Order: sequence, then C-alpha cells, then structure tokens
Amino acid sequence: MMVVRPVRPADLPALERLAGSATPSLTNLPAHRDRLEERIARSRHSFSREVDFPGDELYTFVLEDLERSEVVGTATIRAEAGAREAYYTYRQETLIHASQQLNVRREVQTLALSHEVSETTQLCALSIEPRYRGTSAESLLRRARLMFIAQYPERFAEVLAMAFPGYLDEQGESPFWNSVGRHFFVRDYHDINYLAGVRSKSFIAEVMPQFPLYLALLTPQARAAIGREHPDHETAMAEMLAEGFLRSRHVDIFDAGPVIKGERDRLASFRRAAWHPVRIRPAHVLPDAEPAMIANQRLADFRCVVARYALSPTGQLMLSTEHAELLGVEEGRAVLVAPLALAADDAELGYDEGEL
Amino acid sequence: MRIRAIAESDLDELQALARETGVGFTSLPDNREFLAEKIELAVTAFEQRTPADRRNYFFVLEDETSGELAGCCAIEGQVGREAPFYHYRLGTLAHSSVQLDLHRTIDTLFLSSDHTGDAEVASLFLRPQYRGEDRRHQRNGALLSMMRWLFIAEFRDQFPDKVLAEMRGVFDERGKSPFWECLGSHFFPLDFDEADRLTGLGQKSFIGELMPKFPIYTPFLSDEARACIGQVHRHTRPALAMLKKEGLRWEGFIDIFDGGPTVEAYIDDVRGVRKSRRCRVEVHSGSEPPAARPRWLAASTDMAAFRAAWVAGGPNEDDTITLSEQEAQRLDVVAGDSLRVLDTEETS
Repeated sequence: MMVVRPVRPADLPALERLAGSATPSLTNLPAHRDRLEERIARSRHSFSREVDFPGDELYTFVLEDLERSEVVGTATIRAEAGAREAYYTYRQETLIHASQQLNVRREVQTLALSHEVSETTQLCALSIEPRYRGTSAESLLRRARLMFIAQYPERFAEVLAMAFPGYLDEQGESPFWNSVGRHFFVRDYHDINYLAGVRSKSFIAEVMPQFPLYLALLTPQARAAIGREHPDHETAMAEMLAEGFLRSRHVDIFDAGPVIKGERDRLASFRRAAWHPVRIRPAHVLPDAEPAMIANQRLADFRCVVARYALSPTGQLMLSTEHAELLGVEEGRAVLVAPLALAADDAELGYDEGEL
Repeated sequence: MRIRAIAESDLDELQALARETGVGFTSLPDNREFLAEKIELAVTAFEQRTPADRRNYFFVLEDETSGELAGCCAIEGQVGREAPFYHYRLGTLAHSSVQLDLHRTIDTLFLSSDHTGDAEVASLFLRPQYRGEDRRHQRNGALLSMMRWLFIAEFRDQFPDKVLAEMRGVFDERGKSPFWECLGSHFFPLDFDEADRLTGLGQKSFIGELMPKFPIYTPFLSDEARACIGQVHRHTRPALAMLKKEGLRWEGFIDIFDGGPTVEAYIDDVRGVRKSRRCRVEVHSGSEPPAARPRWLAASTDMAAFRAAWVAGGPNEDDTITLSEQEAQRLDVVAGDSLRVLDTEETS
C-alpha cells in the first residue's frame, strides 16, 4: 500500500537520496543535508502552525511504500512562492513595432524579468524513485497536494503554479542557459542550479540582466527551449494540463522551463472532490470501482491513499479495514474523495485568462 | 583649388559628383530634386535666412582653372532638430554579487539621442582624380576636412557647444556589415543599403518605429558584430586620423546600423578652432611661388561669399598676411580685408 504523509525527521536519508536521484536535479530540492534538514523542520513547523493566510509556510510530503516500509518519493507545497523573497521568472512578451513610413508591422518577442508569480502557491520539489514512475503512486504523490490544499484553502493562494524542469540537450546542457545566463555568470548550468537551491534563487535573479531580452538575439537552440519541459517531465506536464492547469507566459530564468498556472476552482481534483462518511468493510467484500484519491481531515496527520471509489447506496465510502487504519478514520468519519482518472473533457479547453 | 559655398549653378556638377560617391555615401544620393533642394537649403543657410539650428552649410571644392567640382563637405548647424538623430551609446553595467563571488561588467548598447543639438561635420567627398599620388602636394582632403574649423571659428556664435562626426563602420569582403546582419536585420524589414539610403534622405522615422527600445547586451551579439563596435572601414582611417588630430574623440557612441564610431569634441577645444586667428590682407604683385606642400590655411570672413584655400605663407608678427594676386583672387579678397588663417602643422 502506498500513502502520502507529511515528512518526518527520520525521512532525512530518504529525502537526500531522492534529491540526489532527481532528473534533472531540482533547484528547490538540493542534495544538501543541511538544507534538507531545514526543509523538514520548516515543514513540520508549517503543519503545526495556525495559519489564516498564505505566507512562508512550506509543506513537504513523502510517498511511502508500506510493504517495503520505504520512502520512495517526495513533493512540496510552497504556500506563497515569493513569501520571503521575490520569485523571479521570465515573462514572454510580444511588442508590436509598426512603421507607418515603411507600412510594416512586426512582432518583436522579448523576455522580461518578472516577479508576478510570487503570489501564487507553488507545487514543487517532486522526486520519485524511477520504478514508481508512471504508476498511480506517482499521480498520488503529485496530486495529493491538491487534496491537502482543498481542505485548508485559507493556507494557500487562489492560483497554483508549477515550474517544470526545462529542456536539456543530449549532453545534459541547457541551451537556454548557455545562450543567456552563462554570459552573466560564467558558470555551468548545473553549478548555478545547485547554488540556487542551496542559497537562494532570487539573489541570483537580482544579478540577471534587468532589461528585457530580445529573442531574436538568442541562439536558435535557446529559442527552441523556451517553455519546453524536460523530456522526462512530459507525462507529468500532460497530467497537470488534464488537471486544468494552463501554460503561462512565464518561464524559468535559468533553463526557460515552462511555468503552468491553475486557479483552484478550475482544477479537476477540486471540482470533483466530494466528502463521504466512511463505512468500513473487509477488503474482499468491497465492490469493484474506479480508483480515487482519499484523504483524511487531519492537518499534521494528513494521509492520502489511492483506493476504490466504492459508494454504498446511501453515499458512504466503503473502505477496507487496512485503508481506514492507514487514514486513521473510524466508521462514520468523513473523508475527501476525488477520482484518480482525469477525463479528457475535464480540461476546459478554450478557457483563456489572457495567458498563452 | 579653393573651397566656396555651394551655388545654385552647381547643380549639374553636384549631380555628377553624387554619381561618383556610390553606396555608403548616403547624404549625396543621385537624385536631382533632392540635390536641388539641398543646394537651396545651403544657399539660404549661407545667407543666414534660416535660423542657426536649421542650417546645413554645404561647401564645394572647386578647380577654379577648369571650373570643375573636385569634392564637397558640409557642416550641419544642429543635428536632430528636424528628424531624430539616433546613436547607440556603449555603456557598462556591473553584474556583481558578493555571495556568488561574482563581479563582471557587461557591455550594453543604449539607444540614445544625446547628440541632439550638436553640430556635425559631414559629407566629405573628394573625387579620385584629385586625391592620387600626383595630387598629394595639393592636400585637397585636408583642405576639405580642416576648412570647416575655420568656418566654425569665424562664425562661432552660430554654433552650439559640441561638434561630432559619424565615421563609416566595418564592412566585410562581400560588402556586408556584420553589425547590421546580427542586430539591425532582425528589426528592420529592409536591407542595409535601403535603410542607409532612407536615412540619408532624412526619412528616418522608421528607425524610431522599429528599433529595439530596450538596451542590447552585447554578449548576445556574434563575435563578428561585436568586433565592429566603434571600428571604422579601412578607407575611413585617414579621415578619422585627421579628426582625432584636431581633438575629436570616440566617447562610446556608435552608428545604429553599422556600429561605426561617432567622434566628438567641444568646439572650443578643437585645435583648428583654437589655433585659427584673424589677420589683415596685403597683396604683393609678384608671381605665385612654385607648388609646394602648403601648411597655411586661409578662409574669408564673409559667410555669404565664403572662400577657403591653402596659401603659401602665414601672417607676420603684426598679423598681416601677404598674398599673391592669384591667392587674393582665389579667396576673393583685396588688400585691407580680413582673413582667418590656421597653421595646420602647428602642434597643439
């Protein structure tokens, strides 16, 4: 059985392992013991604090495989992306240069440093052991955070954002970094990424070129990388787009990886989530049903599992004894349930908030 | 050989000159109407019928024996008054972070109209047959370049504080500007020659409309384009050397199309302006001395009937200059008139 729960101090070695194995390595999950220890402490503090509005809280979860009693994945929610410092991105902009004299109209593409994503809640730092990739456990790890946010809306922003690792070539080089950041930092992409994770990304952003960049002056390889996720993250991107996230005009300042945004009310997991009282039954008598994410109503003891969405005629969720125990719920207690599958029509195509 | 203010009767000759200048010399297109208008404007300027900030003084170098025009040059009273005047200013931005152990400076090109209101020396052209080895002793190029300092010095109150000169930038063997290919071509839907031609005609609004408005970080340019910044075409080196000798300096402004340098100075600091002085004319009846490399430049003090030419000798201690009859004729002066003279060999 797989469960998502808040991180504990004992998870440090597992977290370190997951940080080290993330491909590509993640800025917001540096393989650095002290930083990860801090991360765990901050997360535990956030889960235990009373919070009325989003601030610098950070909620880190782990995915545990109970059969192996092993932590095999982790993911984090940053309540406010730019709470302590600004969260910088490049915003893709189009300027119209029109000349009456020549009777021409040209669209000039630029990248402008922006910190408007700062106010969103950020889903980040997801790493999972390779053998769980593509399983329902991966979806659970990624979207259990939405189940948590659904229960504690006051702790989070209306708009959720996610930055995907950007495109790297076969040599593992970032063409965007090589065409942009390298000029200013004379450092390797992985170097700067690690540094950003260990120190802070915003202080690096503050040394980035402050004026907009003209795309025409970047290398073709760099231009092609803008807004393109790392190949290993294409499936994850597809899942989040199906969830209802939209590609935004924003891209990462280092590798130009895409930033997606979603209003909570428009995401499938929020819209389809429902409360059900629990009826506990032995596993072998439960009827077959579609898989769903099921979360308990506890803050520090949050648990989320994948189980069958089996409802009694009176709308009770039928849970096995094992699952009920795992969620820490007794008969009659309500749980939040959302179908794991994302129907294609759940993505409201055509919806446009002025974004790309 | 002498310099004089252009006249309406010069139109045919000026057009012949314009045909010879060719591509790259954009201020003198082979366009009769345009040239006629240019002459008309110059005539009103010399007659001081237009305000000082709108004047474009246009001079011709004349072979007074044949009546043929050998070259031309100009002084613009104030640039940027009627059409915008753009440059890139090469600036430096520090990118520095103690935490990152980083301190770098990045060269940046800022669009600028800082030179609005400055005077400009421009449009210098000397026909090939007047600049060969056999003509070296005539110093025609130096005459065209340096007479302008005498003109400005003589009519100093008609000019602003600063003067500039735009020098032609680097072009490769195929006649392409690497700077344009890397930068301008992305923003202007026309080729360099066409862009340059329109600029020469004063039709420059497209520049402001289509230019990148934000600064350009030079690391984004190709190595070839960066190498053009502030560099001149090899044919332009002698002209640049002459201006530098007068005290004009490159202060980081470049042409937005080809990256060529604009050199500049405070007018009162220009050697030819500082060192030139007025003297009184006397005329001797002796014959003209044999042709030798001249060092004294003389110019008349009447704007409408402006003349300038080399003279064989300089003034004496009483600031009197004695000219031969031919010299006096060439400069259109008689005994008792004033002349402005400059010893071009005098070191500052």
